[in-house]
Amino acid sequence: MLSAQESAELIEAIAARQDRAAFASLFRHFAPRVKGFIMRGGADAEAAQEVAQEALMIVWRKAATFDRARASAATWIFTIARNKRIDLLRRAARPVDAEDWLMVYAPESENADKSILAGQTYDRAHHLLEGLSEDQLSVIRKAFFEDKSHSVIAAELQLPLGTVKSRIRLALGRLRDALKKEQS
Amino acid sequence: MSRHLAPEELLLDYSSGALSHAPSLAVAVHLALVPEARRTVELLDAVGGALLENECAALPDDCGLERAMARLDSVACEPPALPSARRPGFEWAPTPLASYIRPGSGWRRILGKFDEIRLEVPGDAYRASLVRLEPGHSLPEHKHSGYEYTVCLQGGYTDATGSYGVGDFAVGPGAERHEPIADPGEPCIALIIVETPIVLTGPWRRWLNPLVSRHII
Repeated sequence: MLSAQESAELIEAIAARQDRAAFASLFRHFAPRVKGFIMRGGADAEAAQEVAQEALMIVWRKAATFDRARASAATWIFTIARNKRIDLLRRAARPVDAEDWLMVYAPESENADKSILAGQTYDRAHHLLEGLSEDQLSVIRKAFFEDKSHSVIAAELQLPLGTVKSRIRLALGRLRDALKKEQS
Repeated sequence: MSRHLAPEELLLDYSSGALSHAPSLAVAVHLALVPEARRTVELLDAVGGALLENECAALPDDCGLERAMARLDSVACEPPALPSARRPGFEWAPTPLASYIRPGSGWRRILGKFDEIRLEVPGDAYRASLVRLEPGHSLPEHKHSGYEYTVCLQGGYTDATGSYGVGDFAVGPGAERHEPIADPGEPCIALIIVETPIVLTGPWRRWLNPLVSRHII
């Protein structure tokens, strides 16, 4: 197991000195997670492993763009894996490559856009998820694991579109409240 | 004026990766301009990160570690990318949009009413354009069979649903007719992504609609 801080340090070690041992540690931690995550969406083991391989190669290539003040290692790697899934499994492209995500959305003026989610807070997101209702979680999980749009989720769960939208909004409201409470 | 933010369910589709290319471009442009929307996507991305971190790594499997290590020799670590400068003449175009504007492309006058630069997006389910309207001018009245996503990039416009300024996001729910009018001041420039087909409803519709459907205008 790696802590969020250890993961961030490993990515920084790759950026600073192309540290192969750091890459191996990151790979051992994250590649199986990416693979498992992708397989939840119905991909076979081989395809999911390919996504994991390619995602981790991006981590190596783009380590220098990682900024722990803006995202945790897990969040950054999630965005890379998500885009690789679109690339490889859906054979489509995305306007903003994950590897450029931090740069594209970099605040234009310093401090003007301090995220409420500084790096340390990101890694607590999984505790925050515990505060969601089962209904809210099921929509969120379907979206991320199965790569389904909210309208497809509504159809599958046989729920009115408005119900799914309000679950998403309530879930986000809860997450924001929990973050605020943590910070005060 | 209160901001018009992209609906949160659309931001979830964007963060999870389920949103298709052309609407994702509209969302990406909105995020580049509006910190509040960006924070929501950061929160959603963090949820994705938490789900990834929680993923049970019980698979007795190295996922091809050896192969990955062997590949490192041929893959260079890249220096951090720097934000690219905005293109002269296109200063209003935020980073995600830049690569869609082909070199040499310029405004084209359409129906004598507005200027357009057509953008190339993969697939034919959506039509993506930049539209420029002089103050007080309007787009031809039209309706859609599907969704329309608009992000204002310069100036502002007003329609029956409200007034929109730079960064504001509008999503049209299809069947209703609307007629956006550019606000006073500098010309209004907007990114418009429309699910095809588009149907004009004004007086010249009989002659114009066949041209729209054949992508002539």
